[in-house]
Amino acid sequence: MDCPTCEAMVDAYVDGELTAVESAEFERALEGCPECRKRLDAARALSGLLRELPAEPAPDLLRARVERELRTIAGRPRERVRRWTQWSAMAASVIAALGLGWLGGTLTGQGGRESDALVASYLRVAMAEHTVDVASSDRHTVKPWYAGRIDYAPPVVDLTAQGFPLLGGRLDVIDGRKVAVLVYRRNQHKLALSLWPASSSGNSAPRVSERDGFAIAEWRHGGFELRAVSDLAPAEIASFATALDRAVDAER
Amino acid sequence: MSGMSEAPKPDLATVERFRVVMLPHLDAAHGFARWLTRDPVQAQDVAQEAMLRALRYFHAFRGEEARPWLLRIVRNTWVDLRAKRGQDQPLEAAENHPAEGPDPEQSALAGDRRRQVAAALAALPEEMREILVLREIEDLPYKQIAAVLELPIGTVMSRLARARERLAVELRGRLGRREHGLPDL
Repeated sequence: MDCPTCEAMVDAYVDGELTAVESAEFERALEGCPECRKRLDAARALSGLLRELPAEPAPDLLRARVERELRTIAGRPRERVRRWTQWSAMAASVIAALGLGWLGGTLTGQGGRESDALVASYLRVAMAEHTVDVASSDRHTVKPWYAGRIDYAPPVVDLTAQGFPLLGGRLDVIDGRKVAVLVYRRNQHKLALSLWPASSSGNSAPRVSERDGFAIAEWRHGGFELRAVSDLAPAEIASFATALDRAVDAER
Repeated sequence: MSGMSEAPKPDLATVERFRVVMLPHLDAAHGFARWLTRDPVQAQDVAQEAMLRALRYFHAFRGEEARPWLLRIVRNTWVDLRAKRGQDQPLEAAENHPAEGPDPEQSALAGDRRRQVAAALAALPEEMREILVLREIEDLPYKQIAAVLELPIGTVMSRLARARERLAVELRGRLGRREHGLPDL
């Protein structure tokens, strides 16, 4: 084998595309051809550099979007799809979006439509490059930020001690209305909480449901309607609701 | 996807089969889209759209290798999307802001070298970038690369060789040649 021939085989050899016979010929030729030996080392080095690039798995939210499409297309009832095991394994982040909204009359009692609006709001939080308009773990920074931006003062509590540090707050528009959304974090997950003044009195215990693969907790406490949305497991979002209620009560 | 007719709405059994056969390759679809688009948000859009297209064409899937089949759809989806919004974003602008590949810094083990390699790969023209990703990151054999890119195998080999030369040039500017044994050209 002359040098041009073995040179032409370097790539195919590195790529594992030669037959056993060809490989053996190439390896024999290599012994007498230091130039091609160098080319082979270089090709291997380059390949090695590319192969050590870290893989970037599909984000949880992409998976959720695809799952939702599949379910919609198949027309299956969403109750049948319980993929929390898979979810919690993959989702390293929890977004609790608290939409502190002025949606009292609009959102309450409209079941599916409200859930859709909340999940859409959550996705905006989770997908956006910046998830919050005011980024602060200090509630004394976050709460005043809402003054003049919406027509009520949302209770803002930090739940770091309970494992849900505050990331900040943002405004969202749901059903044409401005809503305040507080964003919390659990480990690497985010969680969004929306709340708005309640139109009826009394507290109600959190009711946890599932929509499009996300957990939604709905409850009324301290004069506010509260909705938490996240990719956490239902039990975790329930514990978030409980922790929030306690913190809100402690404020008063 | 010429030659593939579109079927009516897939039934439950088809979706279930799709879930089993194609959904495991969502990571690969996203990873490839990430390198094609060089943008995290667009990559998700392309991957999602590609999965939907794949489901629509799934009746034409004949049990060949699922991953290259899906990657071909990812690429076609990206080509279509780029053509559609071609006017808003001239190619030149995109090429002038490269280095937006997956950010290796997100990995705890990330080092400067990996970042440089990712940046060099991201800076390559798409034709070179895609073939290197399919070969080195997706680890596809020539035959499957040829299927994804709809090229003859001979073209795959020559294009791959050119892409490697070009990447080596890019890298020599970024990394020391000696430590990494990069080829002289």
